[in-house]
Amino acid sequence: MSEQQSSLVVTDLWKSYGSNTVLKGVDLELRAGRVHALLGANGAGKSTLLSCLSGAARPDSGDITVAGTVHAGFTPLQAFDAGIAIIYQHFQLIGPLSVSDNVFLGSELKTNLGLTDRARQEAETREVFRLLGLDVDPKRAVETLSVGEQQMVEIARAVRRKPSVLILDEPTAALGVHEVDALLALVRRLARGTGISVVYVSHLLGEILEISDDVTVLRDGEVLWSRARADIGLSDLVDAISPDRREQQQGNRALDTAVKIEFEQLSGGFTGPIDLALREGEIVGVFGLLGSGRTDLLETIAGVRPRAGGTIRLGGKPVDHRSPRAAISAGIALVASDRKEQSLFGEMAAVDNLLMPHLSKLAKGMRNRAGELAEFADVAGRVGLVPNNPLLPADSFSGGNAQKIAVGRWAAGSADVQVLLLDEPTQGVDVGARSDLYDLIRGVAEAESMAVIFASSDPEEIVALADRVIVLVDGEVRYSGPNELDEAELTALAQPESTERNVSV
Amino acid sequence: MNALQPKSRTSVLIGFVDWIMPLACAVLMVYFAFATKAFFTFANISTVITQNAPTFVVAGFAGMLLMSGYVDLSVGSMMALSGVSAAIVFNSAGVGAGVVTGLAVGLLVGVVNGILIGVLGLSPIVVTLGGLAGGRAMAQFLAPDSIFGFPPPVGAFANTSFLGITYVGWVAIIVSLILVFVMGALPIGKRIQAIGVNPRASFLVGIRVKWTVVALYAAVGLAVGIAGLLQVARLDSAPSGTLGLGFEVTILTAILLGGIPFTGGRGSIWRVLIGVWLLAILKNGLTLMNFGPEVAGMVTGGVLVVAAGLEALTVWLRRRA
Repeated sequence: MSEQQSSLVVTDLWKSYGSNTVLKGVDLELRAGRVHALLGANGAGKSTLLSCLSGAARPDSGDITVAGTVHAGFTPLQAFDAGIAIIYQHFQLIGPLSVSDNVFLGSELKTNLGLTDRARQEAETREVFRLLGLDVDPKRAVETLSVGEQQMVEIARAVRRKPSVLILDEPTAALGVHEVDALLALVRRLARGTGISVVYVSHLLGEILEISDDVTVLRDGEVLWSRARADIGLSDLVDAISPDRREQQQGNRALDTAVKIEFEQLSGGFTGPIDLALREGEIVGVFGLLGSGRTDLLETIAGVRPRAGGTIRLGGKPVDHRSPRAAISAGIALVASDRKEQSLFGEMAAVDNLLMPHLSKLAKGMRNRAGELAEFADVAGRVGLVPNNPLLPADSFSGGNAQKIAVGRWAAGSADVQVLLLDEPTQGVDVGARSDLYDLIRGVAEAESMAVIFASSDPEEIVALADRVIVLVDGEVRYSGPNELDEAELTALAQPESTERNVSV
Repeated sequence: MNALQPKSRTSVLIGFVDWIMPLACAVLMVYFAFATKAFFTFANISTVITQNAPTFVVAGFAGMLLMSGYVDLSVGSMMALSGVSAAIVFNSAGVGAGVVTGLAVGLLVGVVNGILIGVLGLSPIVVTLGGLAGGRAMAQFLAPDSIFGFPPPVGAFANTSFLGITYVGWVAIIVSLILVFVMGALPIGKRIQAIGVNPRASFLVGIRVKWTVVALYAAVGLAVGIAGLLQVARLDSAPSGTLGLGFEVTILTAILLGGIPFTGGRGSIWRVLIGVWLLAILKNGLTLMNFGPEVAGMVTGGVLVVAAGLEALTVWLRRRA
């Protein structure tokens, strides 16, 4: 391992959003031709650091030095000119256009007549592909390519502009196993072959061990450590992204109430089979990484996706719902993960959002506005909604309070929910507001004798809220038992098979 | 939290922008009342209602449909098809059978639109654009020449008044009142809006999204059937080439003036009805002031651009609020 020169140096970078300081003096050094992995738990400051590098956010203080030039911050265009390219999880490709048209989009090569020089674009695209070891016809439409190939076209587009730093944000999130292998090989070839520094952000520890030359771990806005790959192993990574102190475990109760809902060999399109029984008031946490099937499982139970097999018994009786509507009338309700897209009616008033499923029940033929407002006041009081204003549109509430509306919907007096399903219950919620929501969920479960199943990718959340835990990996149950594992053990358990293989190398 | 503070200047401004269109309508009426003697008379107002009865009937339903995020461009041609069908049956099998035929054709077309779009997921614009072309052609195929000489009850219905307003006008008023009530006071009104705001969330909270959309298209179809009958009765003839020609543009203009954007989810039915009224008195008042219909057309175009500006202004203010 030779000492290559630095391509980018970050010195004492600080960034606050309001009163919340996200980056607290981060230092980072990227060296040419090496893959530098960046990891950290949710909220450690990864995304903010990437935003500062790509020009999406401007640091409050600190320097970013690229090729000897010191910058205090970037606009996206300045970052691009400085040679920093970023590839997001969501591709920025135009489906119907050809591969080479996409690669040259916005900086088309022109003939002497000012027309697009397709031949030269295709030739140069082939040249970049050869460098990356990629075998795709530049004339093909991008939408006919696999997700993995599209990912590589994205990389090729960035590489053609000869950046000095290429940032890949969770590049394997949407890829299958074979595509992951191909991508990792490409990234390695890219760094070695061109001298580009690659910043590789992933939560998959096996991938990081396989691909990286250097690893930097962020925790609470600071660099925990920055080491060479050769000096570390899996246990270092697991320890690094798990918090020091354990969240006070408030869950992990052993309940002896009546059984509320049972799953027997339940399988969805991707997940299962699963056997599980929940008691009244019990809270089960489903832990899994992206692609583990945690959402698929909840959606199968909620009737959003068709059930592939198995039985669900609610209060001892089999239920066979095939839509969310049927599930709700059976007493099973889902609070989906993406509030804005899947739960709330943004411009509509809070009261309408809260009571949308129950309007007919509250109406006496005509809608009963006074009754609606009374029921809203009752629920808003119980969940501690701030501001407690029924007429405010849902999209003007903070993340935590918006989630209170989404959860409160199923705790309303006119709701008759037996089983509450929550997907990522605190996604996009400030850390401070999370424990409020945990209390709320626990309170609702107890007061209404509900059984609660929540899915989360955050091990802290599992530890803090669950009575029992299920760990899903690739749609299969890896663990099912009491909430005794700590964050590090959960994280290690949740790693997919393919990375375990890599880890043992 | 700002919401607990007294209303911010921005939200007051949004409230004001909301009222510009109704205010403009009122100002316009006052202006015409002073500019021409004939405008503000009971007879003239009654005539405007009667003339625009088909528009009132369809705009309310089509406004509900657009509120849920779906559009129907076929209303004009389908009005011709149902009107011509009714007219043929008037002259061959009698008035009762003709009325049933007119309503049934409208309803059938609406149900077909609804199933293609709501259940099978085809594009609303493409499907109803097909209806726009195909419906008129079918009407002309059924009756290449204008049909007239209906049995006496048809003309009698069109020419009889109650309290100074024709039966045709009363149909429009009653349908309008029912729709304002449905959207404002029944649970289905909120559900229709919810589908327009967020169809996925609507599905997940148990709203029957697909069947609501089918029902809305069916209701628009039925309204088109009613409008076809009213128009045929009013004209005392069924000209397949011109019956309802350009009707879809009038309807969409009125709805957009009523503040329902193409993406749905906002606005209200009474505003749509004010939109219809605004277009109606513009045409009527300018005609009374001896301007030709082309002037009314130009003014309508201008008003629509202003409405688009107000819409953009509201969105901008909301984002800043």
